[in-house]
Amino acid sequence: MTAIYEFWNNFNMNIKISYDWLLEYLDTDATPEELQKYLSLCGPSVETVEKVGKNFVFDIEVTSNRVDMASVYGIAQEAQAILPRFGKRAKLRELNPKAPKVSLNPFPLEVSTQPNLTNRVLAIVLTDVKIGESPDYIKRRLELSGMRSLNNLVDITNYVMLETGHPCHVFDYDRIPTKKMIIRESKKGEKITSLENKTYALPGGDSVIDDGNGTIIDLPGIIGTSNSIVVDSTKNILFFIENNNPVKMRHSSMSLGIRTDAASLNEKGPDPERAFTAFLRGIELFQEVAHGQVTSKYLDIYPSPRTETTIKVYLKDIHRIMGIIVDEEEIISILSHLGFKANRHENPEIAYPDGVYFDITIPTSRVDDIKIKEDIVEEIARIYGYHNLPNNISPLVFIKQPPEIEHLFAVQYKAKYFLKHIGLHECMNYSMISKNLIESMGMVLKDHLKLANTISQEIEYMRISLIPSLVKNIKENTGKRDMLRFFEIAKTYVPRKDDLPGEDYKLSIATNTDFADIKGVITSLFEDLKITDYQIIPGKDDMLAGGESAVILHNGKQVGIMGKLNAHIVQNMDLSDSVYVSEITFDFIANQYTAIGHYTEPNHYAVVKLDATIEPQGSSYKDIETTALKTSSHLQRITYIGSYQNNISLRFYFTSRKENISEEIAKKELEKILKALI
Amino acid sequence: MNITKSILQTLGKALTAITSLAQLDSLHTKYLGRNGEINALFEDMKSIPSEEKKEYGKQVNELKQSVVALLSAKRLRLIATMGDKKIDVTLPGKEFTKGSLHPVTYAIEEISGIFEKIGFIRMSYPEIDWEFFSFEALNMPPEHPARDDFETFFVKHPPHKKYGKMVLTPHTSNGQIREMMRLGKPPMRMINIGKTYRPNWDASHVPMFHQFEGLCIDTRINITHLKGTIDYFAKAYFGQDRETRLRPFHFQFTEPSFEVDITCDICKGTGYVKRSFDSFDGEHSRTAQDKSAQDDLKVKCKLCKAGWLELGGTGMIHPNVLAAGGVDSDIYTGWAFGFGIERVMMMKPNVGLNNVRVLYDGDIRVLEQF
Repeated sequence: MTAIYEFWNNFNMNIKISYDWLLEYLDTDATPEELQKYLSLCGPSVETVEKVGKNFVFDIEVTSNRVDMASVYGIAQEAQAILPRFGKRAKLRELNPKAPKVSLNPFPLEVSTQPNLTNRVLAIVLTDVKIGESPDYIKRRLELSGMRSLNNLVDITNYVMLETGHPCHVFDYDRIPTKKMIIRESKKGEKITSLENKTYALPGGDSVIDDGNGTIIDLPGIIGTSNSIVVDSTKNILFFIENNNPVKMRHSSMSLGIRTDAASLNEKGPDPERAFTAFLRGIELFQEVAHGQVTSKYLDIYPSPRTETTIKVYLKDIHRIMGIIVDEEEIISILSHLGFKANRHENPEIAYPDGVYFDITIPTSRVDDIKIKEDIVEEIARIYGYHNLPNNISPLVFIKQPPEIEHLFAVQYKAKYFLKHIGLHECMNYSMISKNLIESMGMVLKDHLKLANTISQEIEYMRISLIPSLVKNIKENTGKRDMLRFFEIAKTYVPRKDDLPGEDYKLSIATNTDFADIKGVITSLFEDLKITDYQIIPGKDDMLAGGESAVILHNGKQVGIMGKLNAHIVQNMDLSDSVYVSEITFDFIANQYTAIGHYTEPNHYAVVKLDATIEPQGSSYKDIETTALKTSSHLQRITYIGSYQNNISLRFYFTSRKENISEEIAKKELEKILKALI
Repeated sequence: MNITKSILQTLGKALTAITSLAQLDSLHTKYLGRNGEINALFEDMKSIPSEEKKEYGKQVNELKQSVVALLSAKRLRLIATMGDKKIDVTLPGKEFTKGSLHPVTYAIEEISGIFEKIGFIRMSYPEIDWEFFSFEALNMPPEHPARDDFETFFVKHPPHKKYGKMVLTPHTSNGQIREMMRLGKPPMRMINIGKTYRPNWDASHVPMFHQFEGLCIDTRINITHLKGTIDYFAKAYFGQDRETRLRPFHFQFTEPSFEVDITCDICKGTGYVKRSFDSFDGEHSRTAQDKSAQDDLKVKCKLCKAGWLELGGTGMIHPNVLAAGGVDSDIYTGWAFGFGIERVMMMKPNVGLNNVRVLYDGDIRVLEQF
């Protein structure tokens, strides 16, 4: 299963290396599957092991802080620290390429750079190279690592990168006639043509190599350009390694969308010391495989060499964070296998073990990653093995949840389940909506927060109402089901001056039914949640049609709306039928919710039901109800039966709390009411 | 006594006509009720000459017994026929309108409940926040790649003087800092559930999703607590037979950092499934050797990595993060995690969802299934 999301922000890379190549630097009796299991538990995650003929290919995820590990040699170094913990033999064969015999001739190019662009630049010219196919072992290993073999000169740079973890590049020396290389920042809009013959306009501020005439001849660390790379007729080469500014690397590579392996490594800040190893290894291979001749000195611009650092770590802190006691000897052994030097000290004035501490020397390849004592604890704990630590539930303590938060979520669930059970479907829509949707709904663009860097016009503005999304849901589901009734409870983001937006929950509903249906949904919900203190009265809203538009009031304040979408919206949204919507401030619902309703003693006396059909003549149902209840003290309630033409049929319930009333009395009461209504 | 005969005849006719227990109850009231016919006959006793009273009384009593007997017999017959109607029980039942909740709602409900049991309170923190809470305070300096335009949505709004630009939260981890600031002092046990946003929208990514953030800070909190608590969650949510493991990982806001894996549901953590005949791959036709080897009946599980599925990221809270929240890292330690709700929901056995995009398409044919 591939990751659906990158959890929390991490910027990892995967490398593929073959088993036989690894064994060149690691003497071990571990099988490929054992390597997968043990490395994953204590070091890099080996995601797959694939058998290819007699060989195996490991696909390994390397986290962004461990660029030192993103190579055959880096994995071998890790493995020699991890495998012995599982009883496996693991001995590292050092990568120590021989320094070339250097001629006394001066380096033949003029190279300049800036400290904010490169940490180190290494370059050498090799003459009389024989360009051609690579030897089989190089071709095969590159292919197993997912790279195409091109020719021996290019293959060597890729081979060295995979083996040492530091990217490098080869130029055709004769294609730089100016014999000048100026590493500088690009101007916005300057153009390059990559080795794949694609032309790019640079965003500006990118690290580029200028040939002294203003022509860019390389995008260092990311991709070569077609005007300087080796070609079939290449005779003399310039082998070139820069150790770059990782922030520039990331920015240029992402802006241009050029995600080469070199860029992935360079944006993580590989070790400039390792660059020298890669340099020597490359020269070795150019001589051996391509018969190149070293005829001059090499160039090394390295103004501030990277140095080892030291961290002081107390034994008690190691125990405190790991939660178990680990022997001092074991700690020292783990650290030394990882290439750290640990010197033990003890303050005799403090009782053992609290006075024990280690001065730990960090190798240059890890100084960017290991900076505080917790980093050292991680190194010890992972090699010790997280699987060797016990599982304990965090000690229980009581933390008071703010009552309003507890209440808010509890009532949300009650509302959601109620709406589900009466047949509504819950939607979850994106919080971002399009300009088009806002305008179609007759809303104002500038009332919404706008994204500065959206990736699609569909998701550009933060919604302040859930209704537009729900109307879209209705539109997109038209024809799929006859009846559509959707709801959503979500935060809206209402802009505030000089502050974060107000994030208030709203409950919104949209249906393709009718006013009585959506009103019934809301009043039933209120009834279920024992919300009684509200009124629904005629009221206007920009979204709603004048004739079927109501507002929900609580203490005279508007807390919601309901009604039919107006004709403009129906037309703009190209809806095929009337759509009814409602939106209610969820705080109102949460605050008015009552867990158990108020008890009223049942009436023991008979109820007389009488029906009547009347012509309201402009009075609303609400008016009729109010007048009727005021007129007769025996009237308990009225219900609505139906409407026909101008008439409305009602049922009247008469009773008394003192005695049984006769039908005659009820009829007299009804007459009184009907008179009052005229 | 003629009256007895006539009462029994009328009752007989009435009993033949009725078909329900309710009708029978009315007859019962009519004859045997307080104001019923039998009681009326007893009332008449007053006007009977005293020498006839004994005989009259006897007859009315006999009549009453007959009425009771007739009514009881009819009751039995009615009950018997009621219970005996033959119907097609395989016909569908009455249909009720059916609604649905979004699967993410169910997942949030279940997850909050699991953590509530061990004393973690659910909180809600801003989903649009300042850079400071989303990045700086979480040990992600300005040059960190997560903060560039490709990884985080920025909002067009004047920046805050102290806290920087306004962003859509790319993770729920801003809740860590806000909870530390709210409480001021440990102990802290929190789950923050919220919407999170990343500029990534393709076949397997959606620009908005949900995360749940766990936070635990106290004296003497160590890796074993993180391990145990996450294992408790995984077993409660996915099943008691599942195992978890921690792998080394890297996050800016935790040190050490881990990725949590859970044993695969399909291959039960073995990494292999039995090769079935319909999935048999013709390219690797079976030789006699293959057939004999038991191991070759197994193929690698396609769902997982060697028996394990990634659950999410976690770690011990970085001292810089504690400091940003005003918590003294010399006294207190803590752990935190941030998992994707959609991801854990989709990983639950039998849910069968394999495309996160359908969750936000709002298609009724999808929604109504939940």
